[in-house]
Amino acid sequence: MIDKGKWSQWRVRLLFTGPTLFIFLTVMIIPFFYGIYLTFTDWDGISVTQEMVGWANYFTVFQDKDFWLSFALTLKYVGMSVLLVNVVAFLLAYALTSGLKAQNFFRAGFFIPNLIGGIVLGFIWQFVFSNVLVQVGQKLGMVWLETSWLADENKAFWALVIVTVWQYAGYMMVIYVAGLMNVPRDVMEASGIDGATKLRTLFSIILPLVVPSFIICVFLTLQRAFMVYDVNLALTNGGPFGSTEMVSMHVYGKAFLSRDYGVGQAEALVLFLLVAIVTLAQVYFSKKLEVEA
Amino acid sequence: MKKKKGFILLSMLLLVAMFTAACGSSAQTNSTDSNGKTTITLLNSKGEIQQQFLDAAKAFEASNPDIQLQIEQVAAGQSPFERVSTLYASGNPPTMMMVDPSDVTQLKDRVLDLTSEKWVADANGNIKDTDNKVLAFPFSVEGYGFIYNQAVLDKAVGGTFDPKTINTRDALQQLLEQIKAIGVAPLEISPQDWSLGAHFMGINYSAQSKDTAQVSTFIEGLRAGTTDLNQNTVFNGLMDTFDLMMKYNYDQASPLAPTYEKGPELIGKGEVGLWFMGNWAWPQIKSFDTADGKYGFLPVPISNNAADYGNVEVSATISKRIVIDKQKSTPAQQEAAKKFLNWIVYDKEGQNFLVNEVAVLPAFKNITLEPTNPLGKSLKEYIDAGKSMEAVSTLPADHWKEVGSYMQKYLAQKSDRTELADSIETYWKNVK
Repeated sequence: MIDKGKWSQWRVRLLFTGPTLFIFLTVMIIPFFYGIYLTFTDWDGISVTQEMVGWANYFTVFQDKDFWLSFALTLKYVGMSVLLVNVVAFLLAYALTSGLKAQNFFRAGFFIPNLIGGIVLGFIWQFVFSNVLVQVGQKLGMVWLETSWLADENKAFWALVIVTVWQYAGYMMVIYVAGLMNVPRDVMEASGIDGATKLRTLFSIILPLVVPSFIICVFLTLQRAFMVYDVNLALTNGGPFGSTEMVSMHVYGKAFLSRDYGVGQAEALVLFLLVAIVTLAQVYFSKKLEVEA
Repeated sequence: MKKKKGFILLSMLLLVAMFTAACGSSAQTNSTDSNGKTTITLLNSKGEIQQQFLDAAKAFEASNPDIQLQIEQVAAGQSPFERVSTLYASGNPPTMMMVDPSDVTQLKDRVLDLTSEKWVADANGNIKDTDNKVLAFPFSVEGYGFIYNQAVLDKAVGGTFDPKTINTRDALQQLLEQIKAIGVAPLEISPQDWSLGAHFMGINYSAQSKDTAQVSTFIEGLRAGTTDLNQNTVFNGLMDTFDLMMKYNYDQASPLAPTYEKGPELIGKGEVGLWFMGNWAWPQIKSFDTADGKYGFLPVPISNNAADYGNVEVSATISKRIVIDKQKSTPAQQEAAKKFLNWIVYDKEGQNFLVNEVAVLPAFKNITLEPTNPLGKSLKEYIDAGKSMEAVSTLPADHWKEVGSYMQKYLAQKSDRTELADSIETYWKNVK
């Protein structure tokens, strides 16, 4: 009897989780382990046979200077965009919860860039950087705008950061708006009665109370910036002369362009581990910052 | 409660049924369908001619009622190789695949040997692989060099410009000076990595020698690290010409800024005299044409001795090739696919499709139709006169991107020739 009861319990569980579990296994878990297996082969992506090469691909990863250069560049990009996205998003959210007229309209407006896909956005901004801004620069005699930003390796990097900020600030703003609206009125009033200035309230009351929003937003921006591919592809395509090639693009190129699937896969795995470490560390340390009202 | 459970079970069943049905249908596309027709598919990797291909499929089906031909397309921005490998991984490859030259070797275990096909005897150029087998159907011949605008050059030289006069670097420089003198920017360099890496630097390999075995030896030397590019005459000559091009470049102020789309506009409107590009640019040039359709190719001279190989030759090669899958296709499908390839070469409608509709240069001697566009005509003249240089089709797949980026760096004057040569040497030493 008990056995039968257990079985029917399992059956019900399987009924609900089975399909999802099946899909999760087939599209996530199995490919993941198959991918790990591929890192030990010299497969080129199409050939019928593949040789086992042991750890050779991992040695290649550690010797691949371009991989580490693009990883360093990605770190710089992640640092800059996480910082700027969150600062801009928080300032927007702060301004748009302070009772401005038509603030709902502005909120919607700032959110819209996030609804445009990365590829389209990249092409739009490519046009802006290499045509519109150049025209403006020439008309107004601004030397720093006269040539396309995308043709200079430093400016192309900042172009990428600017587009990222433009894309994600609106999305993060929505999260911050929610966080700011949840700051209890009573503490705010209490601080007002105690004679705290606006700035003092911001730093001593509001900021500590919206830390959960910061954790979410920093996590989201971190993860998205690390994985950036579409904007990178459409805006600079790694150029000029490969100077803005982010690590995802490098891995992709290794696997599909250089047709070195094994090394590409191994680089992807190394990247996965590094990103996992960074994001887990971020969540762990920022959890400690949370306070209760 | 009972009823609810039944409903859940029913919907589950439905879901499973839908799932299996979806899986089943994709496997079915590759076989003979119910009304006895053989269905074959072709993966087209020249997105710009998709419509022409669909029309050709209709014409082919009309004369072969027992075959149904479906045309699939490689998405813009995706490489044909990537698409083919995905399709193979999903176990659903098309019957015919149009791929780039360097892909064929890697597909050799999966594609049909076409050595005994009739068209092999009629094909121009080298279509055999290293094992002396023909694995791919040569779909199009494409070539590149300096595209010139006849109207501008006529004005610059004060008379009718004769392309044969440009056979040395000095002659080219003189021409550039003459163009400059009439107040037109001499030339445009499109800084795209594929143009600089695959096409311009491609000359570095093909111009090494008229003998392809020598070219192979040169490349083997690069792989082994024994070839010193800094001491190589062809490389230095080619880069001297590139320096000259940089000096007269329309976009000198910001050489990496122009997009590909700027080139056809400049040459078509006659704002530059020369543009380094290939015959595929005609449709775009046509929409800006101010020279009454009078354009042509000039070779890229690499020395000041008119007799040197490469000075009067324009690069031309078989660019797209069609292979037939042998792993998942049934014998009937393979036969049907072969029939389609023969239809292109020998049927009037097929030839019309190739030459007039798609406007590529065919790789077959028996096709006598004349190209309809000036760049195709000019290229054909070079080929017919034996003044064409076969571009090396076995360069590594990432050569255009890597070497293209070194060339961009050089073009932006962020590196010098020694650094460029070193980068290329290092690339070759490490390439798989």
